[in-house]
Amino acid sequence: MPPTVQHVRPIIGMEIHVELSTRAKVFAHAPSPACTLLEPAGANVMTDELVLALPGSLPVLNRRAVELSMLVGMALGCAIADLAVWDRKSYFYPDLPKAYQISQYADPICGPGVVEVPGLDEQGEIDLDADPTPIRITRAHLEEDAGKLVHDCAGGTGTGVDLNRAGTPLLEIVTEPDFVSAAQCVAFARELRRVCRFVGATLGVMQRGHMRFEPNINCELTLSDGRKVRTPIVEVKNLNSFRALAGAVDYELRAQPERYLEDGREMGVGAKSTRGWDDERMTTVAQRDKEDAHDYRYFPDPDLPPVVVDAAWRERVRAALCELPMSRLRRYVKDYGLALKQGEQLVEERPVCDLLDASVEAAAATGMDPNDAGRQAANLLLQAGARIANERAQETGDPVLPSDLGVNAPQIAALLAMRAEGAISADGVDTVFEALASGEHAGGDARLVAETLGVIIVRDEGQLETWCDEAIAAMPEIADDVRAGKVQAVGRLIGDVRKRSGGSADAKSVREMLLNKLGQG
Amino acid sequence: MPDELSIEDVRKVAKLARLAVSDADAERYRAELAAVLGYVERLGEVDVAGVEPMAHVADSINVLRDDEPRIAYDPAVVEKLAPDAEGGFIRVPRVLGEGGGA
Repeated sequence: MPPTVQHVRPIIGMEIHVELSTRAKVFAHAPSPACTLLEPAGANVMTDELVLALPGSLPVLNRRAVELSMLVGMALGCAIADLAVWDRKSYFYPDLPKAYQISQYADPICGPGVVEVPGLDEQGEIDLDADPTPIRITRAHLEEDAGKLVHDCAGGTGTGVDLNRAGTPLLEIVTEPDFVSAAQCVAFARELRRVCRFVGATLGVMQRGHMRFEPNINCELTLSDGRKVRTPIVEVKNLNSFRALAGAVDYELRAQPERYLEDGREMGVGAKSTRGWDDERMTTVAQRDKEDAHDYRYFPDPDLPPVVVDAAWRERVRAALCELPMSRLRRYVKDYGLALKQGEQLVEERPVCDLLDASVEAAAATGMDPNDAGRQAANLLLQAGARIANERAQETGDPVLPSDLGVNAPQIAALLAMRAEGAISADGVDTVFEALASGEHAGGDARLVAETLGVIIVRDEGQLETWCDEAIAAMPEIADDVRAGKVQAVGRLIGDVRKRSGGSADAKSVREMLLNKLGQG
Repeated sequence: MPDELSIEDVRKVAKLARLAVSDADAERYRAELAAVLGYVERLGEVDVAGVEPMAHVADSINVLRDDEPRIAYDPAVVEKLAPDAEGGFIRVPRVLGEGGGA
């Protein structure tokens, strides 16, 4: 009787390609498409003599591409190399006319490191109380991206080549096979995207191919006869969404034990295969391996001298590092008491986090409890801020963040202080925020704007009493309902008083006064 | 060893370089390549124990340029330089697959 599979232990590593957002290409002076959200104006509008491989053209390395690579490496805990060497990887394909790709073989810019991937709950959501999983980074090397091919050119008789992307700096990050699930791969991929965007290394637009994932997947199978065997490694190429990454890993983890039971093939030399991803059928598909694809004949590029990184350069680059997203997420959830979803929303965008942190600092300087300030400022940015940003994005068609509205940290701190003093209501905070975000009051002093708008809470008991009496007189039936014990009906009266006050009456004080007057106090 | 350079080796190198080589030429190249490699093999006589491999023949390091893009080539010029073009794309004989390097 053939053995059955008793247990499957997944063994997964990843290669991640990140397009760096330099303005020029990595070895050429042509503009690069990955530094803007705008689509190039057409095919082949970002070329020069090097991209086209014209005779006599020579590569010169872009300093910023090197520094962004170092920065990502530092954020991933990688050792930054003292010496980085450029190699030619030979391959004939029309997406790189030089017939080789400039890459790094033995001496990459970033050496080994470790990234802590957040712990996950059973649904695959981040669980800050669970232990993080360390994922070892093998290396990260800088290379040039290839152009794009269009296969339906001329009614299928030819292939069209667009070299806009050719020569865009590409950082290839390689991990050890430390992942045990699709959810972990995705958590890592998301964290990597956040980190790379936080340090300003990439725009990270998935739909534009700014990040592409290539998981290497196999399994250790425990068989019913007690043997342990390993399935052949499958590399899935060019996944450009988290959904595709999860789908491809899950599919392979299900398919590999079945394949083993059918063909009995085990991991070994020549057993590795490459597969693509079919996003509609949600399956991986065998790819015809290009002949000689692995005979790259790497050798040092004679056109490019090596890069030597000394301590001074390293430290200069390190100064651009910032507090990383996971550390901020932990702070926002644990210290400020935000919901995980709120925290995750904040750490999607560094400018929003920076505005939040600066607002907390400014509020703390006025004596406010920083955690209270953090919670309130976060809510303000995620509610009024996000709403106004959305409206503005719809108007302009461009992405707008709550940090793009022109409201600064001192203004937010002043709003929080006024709220803490009871000088304005929660609605008043939103009203002033919106006014500060609009042209008329932009840059204004939050307190003066609040006074101008008449949202400072009126503490004048006499005035409050007049408004309450007027409201009761205006709605006698409702007042009777409240007198008869239908206390929730008081809401209509509170609303009327707040309207009379122009929003300057505090709802809580109004409620107390109305209930007292109607014998329900 | 160079004297053991086979016709198969020549054919493999030719294929990697995308060169069509006739049988007669293959034999001639086998002899010529063997002679070249035999010449280079003399370097094997030098004792290089403890010598670090060079990364580059020049002594220069850190030849870098600032991240300042220049004006790209006019796509009309690119079309003229291409053997064939269509709708801004450079047209090449039909190829399969996703590309190998990147």
